[in-house]
Amino acid sequence: MVIKRIKKRLSKIMGRRKARKIAQLPRKKAPSKIKEEVLGMQETKVEGAKYSHPSIMHLKRMMPEELPTQYGKDKIVAQVRDPWWIHVYWEITPQTIEKIKNELKEKFYQAKRVLRVYDISHIIFTGDNAHRFFDIQINEQANNWYIDTAGPGRSWCVDLGLLLPEGKFITLVRSNTVYTPIEGPSWITDEEWMIPEEMFARLYGMGFGLGRSSPVGKAWQERVRRALFSGVLASPGIASMASPVKIPQVRKFWLVVNTELIVYGATEPDAKVSVQGKDISLRPDGTFSLRFALPDGKQVIPVQAKSADGQDQITITPIVTRETK
Amino acid sequence: MQKGYLCLVLHSHLPFVRHPEHEDFLEEDWLYEAITETYIPLILLFERLLNDKVDFRLTMSLTPTLISMLEDFLLQERYLKHINKLIELAHREVERTRWQPEFHHLANMYLGRFYEARSLFERYKRNLVTAFKNFQEAGKIEIITSGATHGYLPLMEVSPASIRAQIKVAVADYERVFGRKPKGIWLPECGYFPGVDKILKEVGLKYFFVDAHGVLHGTPRPKYGVFAPVYCKNSGVACFGRDLESSKQVWSSIDGYPGDYNYREFYRDIGFDLEYEYIKPYIHPDGIRINTGIKYYRITGPTDFKEPYVPQWAQEKAAEHAGNFMFNRQKQIEYLFDFMQKKPIITSPYDAELFGHWWYEGPTWLDYLIRKIVFDQDIIRLITPSEYLDENPRNQVITPSLSSWGWKGYNEMWLQGANDWIYRHLHVASERMTELAQNFKNTDGLLRRALNQALRELLLAQSSDWAFIMGTGTHTAYAIRRTKEHLLRFNRLYEEIKANTIDEVWLSEIEYKDNIFAQIDYRVHQ
Repeated sequence: MVIKRIKKRLSKIMGRRKARKIAQLPRKKAPSKIKEEVLGMQETKVEGAKYSHPSIMHLKRMMPEELPTQYGKDKIVAQVRDPWWIHVYWEITPQTIEKIKNELKEKFYQAKRVLRVYDISHIIFTGDNAHRFFDIQINEQANNWYIDTAGPGRSWCVDLGLLLPEGKFITLVRSNTVYTPIEGPSWITDEEWMIPEEMFARLYGMGFGLGRSSPVGKAWQERVRRALFSGVLASPGIASMASPVKIPQVRKFWLVVNTELIVYGATEPDAKVSVQGKDISLRPDGTFSLRFALPDGKQVIPVQAKSADGQDQITITPIVTRETK
Repeated sequence: MQKGYLCLVLHSHLPFVRHPEHEDFLEEDWLYEAITETYIPLILLFERLLNDKVDFRLTMSLTPTLISMLEDFLLQERYLKHINKLIELAHREVERTRWQPEFHHLANMYLGRFYEARSLFERYKRNLVTAFKNFQEAGKIEIITSGATHGYLPLMEVSPASIRAQIKVAVADYERVFGRKPKGIWLPECGYFPGVDKILKEVGLKYFFVDAHGVLHGTPRPKYGVFAPVYCKNSGVACFGRDLESSKQVWSSIDGYPGDYNYREFYRDIGFDLEYEYIKPYIHPDGIRINTGIKYYRITGPTDFKEPYVPQWAQEKAAEHAGNFMFNRQKQIEYLFDFMQKKPIITSPYDAELFGHWWYEGPTWLDYLIRKIVFDQDIIRLITPSEYLDENPRNQVITPSLSSWGWKGYNEMWLQGANDWIYRHLHVASERMTELAQNFKNTDGLLRRALNQALRELLLAQSSDWAFIMGTGTHTAYAIRRTKEHLLRFNRLYEEIKANTIDEVWLSEIEYKDNIFAQIDYRVHQ
């Protein structure tokens, strides 16, 4: 909570209020309302449908014990989220904090905890040769951060450290190097071409590619012979496809009413019974029950039982009418 | 005249969900639904194509987790139980809808399909992997591998040993199942960062796929865009970029085919629609309504008002859409051919589960599409990546860009507020696993079992599915639980191995629960 609040405040300060929250993924009945598609949104939706169990939240499930909050090692790890943002998480052991407290004494309490983000594109970083860097002040409780680098196509390294009042920076831990991808086509247009060695050897043996003819021949003749599916190919228009007709916003309240009819009874267990002319099977005790969806209108339901020896026969015919007003 | 190629790729994946400790486990339904609605319809489709001597090509990934589940005796037994339940329900539905002709024939359709599914399942002696293996051996589909547990590789950049383990375990498992090495790989979630390709090269993989911007934003600029593969600089592994136009037509429920009003509505299932007491035996034992797979309505329109599904209309639409897709590819290829002075390749990858499970008519559409392409025209030729590379070995060399096919195209789906906490644990576990692999080089007996199980637990914790589910924000409890459970098991194994206090009873128990990759060798994690 605290971290969230701080992050929020910070992003306000920095004036970089890029929406980072995941947009509500489309769920039920969304199609007509979505206007623009975010890259990969459909893939996300379809993939999500694989794990579809809408009410699963009601299930009480045992949760295992918690994972350790600390692993006892100073470290900071950076990962790329997209061309602009990187994520860092870190752990500083209480021992390290104690040690630095002892060294800095009073100054420790005046120092700010800071993430120093270095742009180290195309160089071997030695700690003081970065193209530039910027600092993000963080709270003591924070253990991870999303950083807007505003710099696609660059390499980054992040230090977690203390910024002393006089401006001196003490590194506690240094991250791995990450590279944010460029967000458009490359400006570099030099071309390099390659034929893998083993392929080249094969081609060479066949007289430089002439041996493998283009795939014309048998397969095509066979296809022509079998004009199986020709004709089905309709007009190329995509007109019918999901034309999202704009429907005025309807209110959400709704009601559904259905009716079903249960027909049940009993006879001798070895009797033969039919309902509306169709044989049904009896339970071992001679009872039966049938369930029908009941549409509007009149249903005549003759139930006929015949004794096992064929001597006796009884028919009872309920008549049911459903009318909806 | 042939002017280009179409490379259709189906990516099939489900995370490893197997809970022998529970009689009835909700999440296992993911597998059963996919079997009935996707894998079996696809197998039926490929069988029909083979019977009709259609010379088709399709590339398909089967992830190691999915293969493990399809091969698992317990899950096979449970699937049979599941399909028998469905058959029973369909029988009751046939009876219940007797006075509703608009639903009655649908109930009969489902009954027929469920029987068909069961008989196919039994015909392959319950192991559907055999079916796919046969199609590969017949030369029609090329099966590729994926990460062992579908770990999202760009967020393992700091743990290269884990990337290596994800890939090596997957390749070894592929060889066990298919009796040869895989030629290509489906990087989980199309997640690529420069450098992954080097590890692919180490194990002899020849190609992989990225989303369009992975190639388009590569350096230097790719001369032919996504319409020719590129070789990765330094590794020489080929990389095929996804074509966005053809993707959108199938993926999008807004302006793609699956949103057509005649197609079956995914969200209206009798598990939710019917009277509670009646449907109760067929939903979750705790009484929670779930999808049964019996759905009677078509999409109808953009509102909640739905009309009954008419299979005939849907079938006609599928044929029309297949024709439309082919026509668009022809135009695209003709245009590109003139422009490039070279035959373009259109790479169109889809989630396999999109076909049948999400888009019920998907397999029918694919059937029409393949036949039309093979018999009705000669501009497009279906091809697999390895065939393409055999015929077109000279390609440009670039460094593709970090990318995925997930939300927003990079890592954010798996790295956001809801799931970023997992990485501090996963990365430490990776470090620890490497430490174990280095400290224990030659082992046997109990110690070896513990080390192998530690790697299993780590791999299972790394499945991208958990972070994905947390990211979507719905039913996250299971995903959180799985992440924690595997990490906790790993941590305990790590401590016990180091202290030489391995609890054999407990080890046997988790070996039984997480029984994936029987042949795993922990030493690959280096």
